[in-house]
Order: sequence, then C-alpha cells, then structure tokens
Amino acid sequence: MKYYIFLVMVLLSLNGITQNKTIAFGEKLVYTASYNMSGLLTDIAQVKMETSEVKTSKSTLMRLKCTATTYKKWDNFFKIRDLYESYVNPKTLTPYLYKRDISEGGYYKFMQYKYNHKSQLVKSLKRKKNSEGETWDENKTVKINASTKDIVSTLYYIRNLDIHKATPGDQQNFTVLFDNIEKTISVKYIGKETISTKIGSKECYKLAISIKGSDILKGSNSNLLWLTADANKIPVYAKFKIPVGNGELKIVSATGLKN
Amino acid sequence: MKKLFIILGFITAILAEILAVTPLSNLAIAPIIVAFLSGLAILFISKKEKTKTKTIQYIYLLVIIALGLTIYKAVFNTSEIGDTEQLEQREEENLKDSKEILDDLEIDENL
Repeated sequence: MKYYIFLVMVLLSLNGITQNKTIAFGEKLVYTASYNMSGLLTDIAQVKMETSEVKTSKSTLMRLKCTATTYKKWDNFFKIRDLYESYVNPKTLTPYLYKRDISEGGYYKFMQYKYNHKSQLVKSLKRKKNSEGETWDENKTVKINASTKDIVSTLYYIRNLDIHKATPGDQQNFTVLFDNIEKTISVKYIGKETISTKIGSKECYKLAISIKGSDILKGSNSNLLWLTADANKIPVYAKFKIPVGNGELKIVSATGLKN
Repeated sequence: MKKLFIILGFITAILAEILAVTPLSNLAIAPIIVAFLSGLAILFISKKEKTKTKTIQYIYLLVIIALGLTIYKAVFNTSEIGDTEQLEQREEENLKDSKEILDDLEIDENL
C-alpha cells in the first residue's frame, strides 16, 4: 500500500511539474505583427520574445521578456511600447514575479504579480496614470490555483508540452491570471502542417487557442498557433481574431535556441 | 448620370489621395479603383453625348498620384521601428526593481 501511494505521488508530481527541455537562456525570437485592413495585411509592430539569466542573492532565475513596438510610420497615430516580463524557475518555468508595463497611445498601465506558491496567493499591484499624468496604485491579494500562471510563462509553458505524444483533437486547459482575474485558456492540438516561414519551411504542430468565458478571442478555431515540430517548438506563425478585426504574427528571426 | 460619376470620381480620387499619404496607404487601392472606373464611365458618357472630357483629366491625375504613392510605399516600405529609448529605460528600471523584489521573495526551487 505504501509503495502504491508513493508511486501515485511520483506520477502525480511528474505530471504536475514538467521539466524545461525547450527554452534556453539567451533565446531571441523576433516577429512582425500585421493587422488586416479591408482584406490587406499591414505591418504594424515588431514583437520580440527574449530570455535571459537573472541572478539574485538566493537563486538563478530565467527572465522571459516580451516587447511590442509599433513601426515608425504608426508612432504618430498610435504609439505602442509594451513590456511584459515574467521571472520563472529555469527548470520548471514556474513564475515568481510578473510585470506588465504597457504604454499604448497615451494609455499607461503597470501590473505586477508577486507569487507565493506555498500559500497560493498573488500580491498584485496595479498602477495607472490619470489625465493629469499622476500615478495611483491599487494593491490586492488574489487567491490562485496551484497551476495558475501569467500569460508570458503560459506561452513558454505551452512550448514545453509533449505535443508529439498528443493525437489530433487533444485538449489541455491552462489557468492564467490576467487583470487580477483567473481565466481558463484551452489549447487544442489540431494536427501537423508544413508551412513556409522566413526561417525556412517548417513542419509544425497546429494548435487552436481559445479563452473560456471571454470574447477577447473570437471563434473557436480562429485563433491558431504553429509551433515547429522539433525539440525547440518555436512559435513561427500565429493567426488571431479579435472583436476589432484579425491579424497575424510572423517570425522574422530566431537565435540562441536550445536544441 | 454624368454628374453623378463626376462627383463620385472626384470624392474617391481625393479620398485615395488622402489615404495614400497616410500610413494607411494600402487602403487607398479601393478608392483608386472606384475613381478609375468613374473616369471610364465619364469618358464613355462624354463620347456618347459628344461633350467635354476635361474632368476626366483631373480625376486621372489624382488617381495616378495616389497610385504612384501607394506603389512606392508598398515597394520601399522598410518597416523600421521607432525610438525605443524610453522602452529600454523602462526595461532596465524594471529589471533593477525586479531583482530587489526577487531577493525578498521566498523561492522554492523544487516548484
């Protein structure tokens, strides 16, 4: 009986904590985001996803950084300078600190989550600017599930899944904390597809992403993500449909890969 | 009928011109096509009625300028990103601040 319980616990822990086999320190992925305007795709912004090593006095963590910058021609119309970062355990990709510092056409917002996984609590800080340029803070403590992550670490966590073991139609749910609310993101494996990208023709895993109980992403199979079907599982192409239209995210370059 | 096409042609040609100078130059294609077709309609009607075709010249002049600008922008579009100085500064500030926060946080490496 003892051995049986031990075996179950080991299996459960293996299932819960996936080891990072995909993401290395110093990885840099660059994308072009385009938006569909009356049937024509227009390049709007450059999106960068970078990882780096961060050493604290107690441990070594991985910094996952995503930035979005609009192209020069759009800056006078709608200037976007967004920064999303998550500090995670390099082995398990469990987040400890998340920051979202966004500046979109005069709108500024800062969100910070400090995770305490033992007590399953997140100390959140929201900072906004009023019309006179003064900032105000809002502190909150949010109760989370054991597997809740932020949007950035979830994105990297999806890359770390054993998709090669999945069969078309398989679905997995992830709990994501966004704007102090836990949301369930569903990732469905559709199948394999070979697509042509700027980094060459790649065989990819095609995934459909949807958010339960939210209308941010429209349609059930309209938001798609293509991850290369190799050990790096690089997101090379994404298609999204939002209430104000649809767009694409295409890879431009990928450097510092693990495998 | 001819007046209607003249008005439509001028409005779409001017709209195409405005769109062509903005970053939304891709959108200028639709009004360019409408202006061009209006021009053709005016030409056809004028020939039938044996009246002046002067207005077509103005519409086509605007269409050619708008089309030229749109093609130029589509071909020589460098997609250069704007200034990132402020963003880089925020990145550095955040990293510095994050290190201080992480030092105070309880980190369980087995999680």
